[in-house]
Amino acid sequence: MQTKPIALKILDVVSIILLAISTYLALFFAPMELVMGQVQRVFYFHIGTAWVGLLGFVIAALTGIVYLITKDMKWDRFGVAAVEVSTVFFFLTIVLGSIWARPAWNTWWTWDPRLTTAAVTELIYVAYFMLRQGIDDPEKRARFGAVYTLLGGVSAPITFMVIRLFRTIHPVIVGAANANQEKMSMTGDMKIAFFFALFAFTIIFIDLIWHRVRLGGLEDKVEQLKLKVSM
Amino acid sequence: MDKNKIQKDELIPRAKRSSLSSRPSLLKATFAIVQKDLAAEFRSFELVSAMLVFSLLVIIIFNFALELDIKVRQSVTAGVLWTTFAFAGTLGLNRSMSTEKDRGCMDGLLLAPVDRSAIYFGKAISNLAFMLIVETIVLPVYSVLYNVNLFRLDLIGIILLGSIGYVAVGTLLSAMSVQTRTREVLLPILLFPVAIPVLLAAVKASNGLLTGADFAEVLIPLNILIVYDVVFIAVAFMVFDFVVEE
Amino acid sequence: MEITPDTSNYMIAGFAVTFITMGIYIVSLYLRSRNLKQDIETLESMQNEKPKSTK
Repeated sequence: MQTKPIALKILDVVSIILLAISTYLALFFAPMELVMGQVQRVFYFHIGTAWVGLLGFVIAALTGIVYLITKDMKWDRFGVAAVEVSTVFFFLTIVLGSIWARPAWNTWWTWDPRLTTAAVTELIYVAYFMLRQGIDDPEKRARFGAVYTLLGGVSAPITFMVIRLFRTIHPVIVGAANANQEKMSMTGDMKIAFFFALFAFTIIFIDLIWHRVRLGGLEDKVEQLKLKVSM
Repeated sequence: MDKNKIQKDELIPRAKRSSLSSRPSLLKATFAIVQKDLAAEFRSFELVSAMLVFSLLVIIIFNFALELDIKVRQSVTAGVLWTTFAFAGTLGLNRSMSTEKDRGCMDGLLLAPVDRSAIYFGKAISNLAFMLIVETIVLPVYSVLYNVNLFRLDLIGIILLGSIGYVAVGTLLSAMSVQTRTREVLLPILLFPVAIPVLLAAVKASNGLLTGADFAEVLIPLNILIVYDVVFIAVAFMVFDFVVEE
Repeated sequence: MEITPDTSNYMIAGFAVTFITMGIYIVSLYLRSRNLKQDIETLESMQNEKPKSTK
């Protein structure tokens, strides 16, 4: 197998540095939010992970389309990588949101459109992996995976729209929750930490996807070798 | 697969829209498939009867689980109905596609010189027919059991729209799930997260109708239902080829 | 304005979860790639042995 490209090594180091800086900005640089206290500091990572989680979902749907047109396995590897890394980050988003919600709204969970859509999206990711696991033929696995990410990508925005309708039924819980979130005004230093977290997580995301794509390459190689040996 | 099949597959041109003259039209082929499915079903009533009994059992369980007295009934009827339809729907979708697969009918269908989308539309329409048959029996039974009048044209319209959307995605996903190792188990896992919008919109719209809400409140979920139906029929139509290709 | 509540514990939990989860994922990536590399080595050696014995 080819050795690790130099660009990837650089990206690894940059990712670690960015994560460290972002952590510093979130923990010490940004001022404390007065209404919610220290816990508000998880907000920066919450937004960062949510952003890359969504980005991965969009990338997966797009690579799905490209795969179906080109039938080139590299797009499938790219799609799987995007979904897998997004699953991890989206899981973090949900957990961080929950941890934040507990002291802020006094509940671990509300059926707010954003939270619910996030949970449904995570379930789509999980279903995607279960689907892939059930198929032996790599070509078919890639094809079905692509179709499913495409369906998921179309369905998730509609889910968000529908759940937003339900807000009219439960104005108290969700309305209050939203007002709380929107009221949070950011000072200049908070904005710096916020945008830096977005940037840092984007780079970390790219780095992890790159690693996962390489892993996918190894997986394919093993499968091909197994086929050759068994013949 | 066998050589014969591969050759015949190659004979079918990839661009399917230009195929009106040499092969039966999309409409004819679709209805041939629907006719086949319905004829097979009306001989034994295997699928519809299973879905029906299952639906009734679910409703009975809900009755005790939710203590459906008069007050609760008003607000949960829509939810109970759609949950029942969704569960019964997966049962039917699974069965309908796995009989195709098990008896080798799918290979036969794929060999036939018809447009692949005719297979999709044919299967979707017959699945929809099964679901509608079950719904037309469940609705009066529910009405009698719980003394709610469900025979309203607007409600039936919503149920039709919701079922169309559900079946449109369900047919595509069941064609995928029968080709996997886990088969029946996989369909609900694949289908439910993707079908959440159509189910929620249908519940919301039906609930609005049953509780006598303003028409404006029903209009938004109704629009979403229509959007979902159109979008997913279009997407399923476009990608079905990739799901059945060998 | 009321007194700012002390929510440091939640914050610490949040950051801990973030780093632990990311750590676990990176370790899983590393372990999977190591196992696959081992597989490739084994398979390649099997492939080299095979032509002599069968054909």
